[in-house]
Amino acid sequence: MTGATAGGAVALRLHEIEKSFGQTRALKGVSFEVKGGEIHALLGGNGSGKSTLVKILAGVYNADGGSIEVRGHRLRAEATTPAAAQALGLRFVHQQPSTFPDMSVAENLSLGRGFETGVGRNIRWRTVRARARAVLDRFGIDADPGQPLGALGAAEQTMVEIARALQDQEGESDDILVLDEPTASLPAPEVKILLDALRRYAADGQTIVYVTHRLEEVLAVADRVTVLRDGDHIATVPCEGLTHDALVELIVGRSVDSVFPESGGERHKNVALEVRGLRGGPVTGVDLTVRSGEIVGLAGLVGSGRSSLLRMIFGDLRPDAGVLELDGAVIAPRTPLQAMNAGIAYVPETRSDAAFADMTLAENLSAASVPSYWRGGRLHSRAERADTLRLIEAFAVKAAGPGIAFGTLSGGNQQKAILGRWLRRDPRVLLLDEPTHGVDVGARIEIYATIRRAVDAGAAVLVASSDFEELAGLCDRVAVISGGRIVAEAKGAELGSDRLQQLAYTNGGEQ
Amino acid sequence: MSTADPVPGAVADAGQTPLPDVGAASRRSSSSGGVIRHAEAYALPALLVAVAILFSVLPSTSDTFPSMPNVQTIVGNQSVVGIIALAALIPLVCNQFDLSVGATLGLSSILSASVLSSGASIPVAIVVGIAVGGAVGVVNGLLITRAGVNAVIATLGTAIVIHGIVTWKTGGESIVDIPASVTNFGSANTLGVPRTFVALLLVALAVYYLLEHTPFGRYLYSLGSNPSAARLVGLNTNRLVFQSFVASGMLSGAAGVLQLARSGSASPQVGENFTLPALAAAFLSAAAIRPGRFNVGGVIIAIFFVAVLNSGLNLAGAAAYVSDFVNGIALIAGVALSAAFGRGRTGQ
Repeated sequence: MTGATAGGAVALRLHEIEKSFGQTRALKGVSFEVKGGEIHALLGGNGSGKSTLVKILAGVYNADGGSIEVRGHRLRAEATTPAAAQALGLRFVHQQPSTFPDMSVAENLSLGRGFETGVGRNIRWRTVRARARAVLDRFGIDADPGQPLGALGAAEQTMVEIARALQDQEGESDDILVLDEPTASLPAPEVKILLDALRRYAADGQTIVYVTHRLEEVLAVADRVTVLRDGDHIATVPCEGLTHDALVELIVGRSVDSVFPESGGERHKNVALEVRGLRGGPVTGVDLTVRSGEIVGLAGLVGSGRSSLLRMIFGDLRPDAGVLELDGAVIAPRTPLQAMNAGIAYVPETRSDAAFADMTLAENLSAASVPSYWRGGRLHSRAERADTLRLIEAFAVKAAGPGIAFGTLSGGNQQKAILGRWLRRDPRVLLLDEPTHGVDVGARIEIYATIRRAVDAGAAVLVASSDFEELAGLCDRVAVISGGRIVAEAKGAELGSDRLQQLAYTNGGEQ
Repeated sequence: MSTADPVPGAVADAGQTPLPDVGAASRRSSSSGGVIRHAEAYALPALLVAVAILFSVLPSTSDTFPSMPNVQTIVGNQSVVGIIALAALIPLVCNQFDLSVGATLGLSSILSASVLSSGASIPVAIVVGIAVGGAVGVVNGLLITRAGVNAVIATLGTAIVIHGIVTWKTGGESIVDIPASVTNFGSANTLGVPRTFVALLLVALAVYYLLEHTPFGRYLYSLGSNPSAARLVGLNTNRLVFQSFVASGMLSGAAGVLQLARSGSASPQVGENFTLPALAAAFLSAAAIRPGRFNVGGVIIAIFFVAVLNSGLNLAGAAAYVSDFVNGIALIAGVALSAAFGRGRTGQ
């Protein structure tokens, strides 16, 4: 707590912000106030409307109604633009760094704002460096203006980004800094450095809106908390006296049962995939089994290590340690091809890693099966066409024909075809990363049915998702991954999306 | 944040999805799109025919242009540039540029000439030419896949080094004492068809087979379309890139031997003039036959489109520099058109 907040004037006032996407009301008239000089955490789970609200503040989306007021200057929320948000004094530091690691700290501070130039439009480096020096001192960053930014620690790099956003504010601290998951990619010691810096800035009067998933950080640093759920403003409360469980309860809307479930008896068949002590990158030690005929979910927040885990099993990332067993035999795939030959299939998180957009639907469906058409010195395109027609039917892909360009299909149909590309190989183990991300409801239902059919035929499926409702509905068992480890498991009666959210949050950040 | 909330996610999907009602949209593009697809595919061939007819009836060229000798000259002279355009096509399919095709041709031409002039047999000279090209391809491939040098830089560098080697080896002089049996092949016709043209057709068929009817070709197109997706369907992307440069080098080497036969001498400057027209044709290939996709038929059409235009303008009395305009504009048009067709196909 900074303690500098009590009785601070209102710096930012949101009034009845409304936003709908089609039939979905993402924000149902959200109003709250942020006081000057406080750190105000903005919390909410999946679908809470938190992301939408930040995008409206940044001018990326226009709201359907409501207003934004910064220190008495009022803006209709229907008419926000990035320039208007900037003029109001809203400053954003996003989750993805927008800095230039190879360039110097001074250059990073000047880019986007402009360099001091002399009569010949030449950069006056001495002035630039002196100003950088002053900014670094003001923000308490231990760095030399001439150092390349990449040589600094991760927390310092974020602080330079914050300093760049705030260096030109007119008063000492009139601007409002919106930090969107600034710690998502920081290791734990760096998080502490950054949080200490934020506390100092707030103590000096800086107003900060802090968006995060990590509740420990909220409790450590925030003065007040606003919670959104399903587009409604649930509460804006002081952080003092709040407990972790109370926060989770606000976010999820149910009371917390903090007892972890025991992993029960296995009613499925033999173990198809066994992972023991797998480590590497963000994965810090995973033990996991998936049985034949079973769909196991992998619930985790951004940065939990879920995607890296799948890529390691598929041979696309090299683990530092650990054992993989497939049907009891140890495998160590060093390339995707070796994993494929062992009977593993993998659908990556983003379609841009799977789709050959300018090739045909037929070529996309057979991308992992080309050698099967290579007989007698040529590719048998007629057989390929016949198979394509059969697969289009089997996987309910809506397309004019095998020769259509893949990129012209909708996201849902592309995803169905990509799933078909792998399921036609009858894999032993199917790894899915966000299988329905950006897919409409109709296609979603068909994808779920397809996965279930594959499992009924004896495949083992491991599906990673941040959509906990999806996991609760689809999976037989869900493992919760956090900080690169499996921290809990839920099954049977425990498999509610609320319960999964509780588990993911309760263990989030505990590294 | 961005991955967390389903509502903005759903909006992002609407943004990525060009056509909300897929079924209807695909049906539309199948009926009217078929006509457009055909128009795209055969616009350049039709233009080639139109230009040929134009010069055949234009008073200033109607005597000379449609004559048998002129047709034989056009057809015979394009074989060498045609083969190195096909060479450049192979790496281009997997999105890599080979700027060394012309220099490789020059090196092969000089070295096969020097073994011929020192008394080696023709088959030995051919093997030497192709092997030299393959060696250049191996160097390019290693630089790109092992050392991680960008293909444009790597092949530009090898092209400059090769030019130095050629000047050093020849002292700037052409090698002229070539056996008559070799030069006879280069200028002879079979049933009125220049033999070099027959060689071009054979190479074109071989490259067509490689790209369209083997897994290797399919993999190259996949790699060109989306490298990370290619990796995740189990392709060894580095090996494919390496092999494409070796194939390109060997074809360029073969073109060098053919150039020697055609011109009857090996000039140290010969290679430089071929690289840009060959790359222009390789690019322009995506604007014909299979729109949005670099392809063999498109290369052949593009080569002869530029050649017919140049020949006609030349016979009509246009200054020599006009052919530079034609080549330059063809290159730009090729890139622009293939980009436009590529966008159309993926709906972006």
